[in-house]
Amino acid sequence: MKMSAVVSDTIGPFPSTIGEAQAAVSDSVRRAQAGDVDAFELLYRENAGRIYALCLRLMAGDAPDATELMQDVFIKAWRRLETFRGDCAFGSWLHRLAVNTMLENARGDRRRTARVLPMEDPTRVETTARSTGIELKMDMEDAIASLPKGARLAFVLHDVEGYQHQEIAEQLGVSVGTIKAQLHRARRLLRERLER
Amino acid sequence: MTHEVIRHLLDDYVSGDLSEEARGPVADHIVGCDICRSEVESLKAVIARAADLPKSIEPPADAWQGIRGAIERDKVAVASRGQRAQSRWSREYMMAAAIVLAAVLSSAGTALYMNTRTERDESRAVAATPAANETSATLAAFTIEENNYLRNVAVLQDMLDQQEASLAPETVAQLKSSLRTIDEAILEARNALARDPANKTLIEMLSGTYRQKVDLLRRTAEMTRGS
Repeated sequence: MKMSAVVSDTIGPFPSTIGEAQAAVSDSVRRAQAGDVDAFELLYRENAGRIYALCLRLMAGDAPDATELMQDVFIKAWRRLETFRGDCAFGSWLHRLAVNTMLENARGDRRRTARVLPMEDPTRVETTARSTGIELKMDMEDAIASLPKGARLAFVLHDVEGYQHQEIAEQLGVSVGTIKAQLHRARRLLRERLER
Repeated sequence: MTHEVIRHLLDDYVSGDLSEEARGPVADHIVGCDICRSEVESLKAVIARAADLPKSIEPPADAWQGIRGAIERDKVAVASRGQRAQSRWSREYMMAAAIVLAAVLSSAGTALYMNTRTERDESRAVAATPAANETSATLAAFTIEENNYLRNVAVLQDMLDQQEASLAPETVAQLKSSLRTIDEAILEARNALARDPANKTLIEMLSGTYRQKVDLLRRTAEMTRGS
């Protein structure tokens, strides 16, 4: 089996069920678009687990931050429901909204902290991990959470969520080369940490 | 392709992002290169572990309540937005007029007092003859009243700070400018009172200026809420 087939079959965003999911939620979406909060709650119940998992990984395993991000995502989704035209599965739309919301929040945080905190140092996590002197074998979630932000984003979106380099680059506003470099770095850091 | 070039292609190789043209030579190299083969296996293991991660994780049970609360607040805001939009221009106009009027009254009152101070001092010389205990009772009452004004001002100011985003920028600028004028009037009267604590006229003027400030803030806050 070709690797490309393996990758796309196993980790693609909402693989092979997009059509079904779309059909299943379309009635709820229509009712929610008409202002029915109960219908929106159904959409929440169907998608919250997946969006929360994404938020948790994007927020480096911080549960309160992930919960807040997920809530922001659903509140934004409610406010922007009328812009959802069904061109993709509702879950995919939410997914994209989650990544965008996280990036917007990060930009806001960066503006707020720029004056008091230094810019992210890509070696910070590695240095911190080494300086503890404790070499514990990490589980996968911890290892992902320990990645520098850029590498974590690239890895979560590409290897966990199944987005293509081009899609990630567009969403993050960087070049495909940058995403590839971050992914390369993330995989090697993960390999080191998981094999310790 | 050399070993070094191929090593840089291994990520794309395991991701399936290499063209068929490039994929062949890389695959051939891996067969004969222990280093690259080992690296490919490690990368595949990482990718496989990523693919095995749970796609769904149950969020905290009360997360929906927070979302629902925000949605309900949105619905209330949307319902009142229509009414607010309808009367926005007239309210903004009224608010601006009220702000200017309050500022003018405050500064004019203080200026009037300061300009005619000599005249009032003479009157006060006559009026200040009541017993000293009456003066201290008046001051004590005013101090209590002043504290109440200051507390009210603080609460209203907090409320307005939170609602500032819903006001037109020019209204906010005018409000701030008027508040500055009123504050200057208060400061001037307060300094005068410190020099002349028995002056009832000053106390009344200061009370009046505080009332104007509280009234201005309250009306602005009410208009901002769209009531």
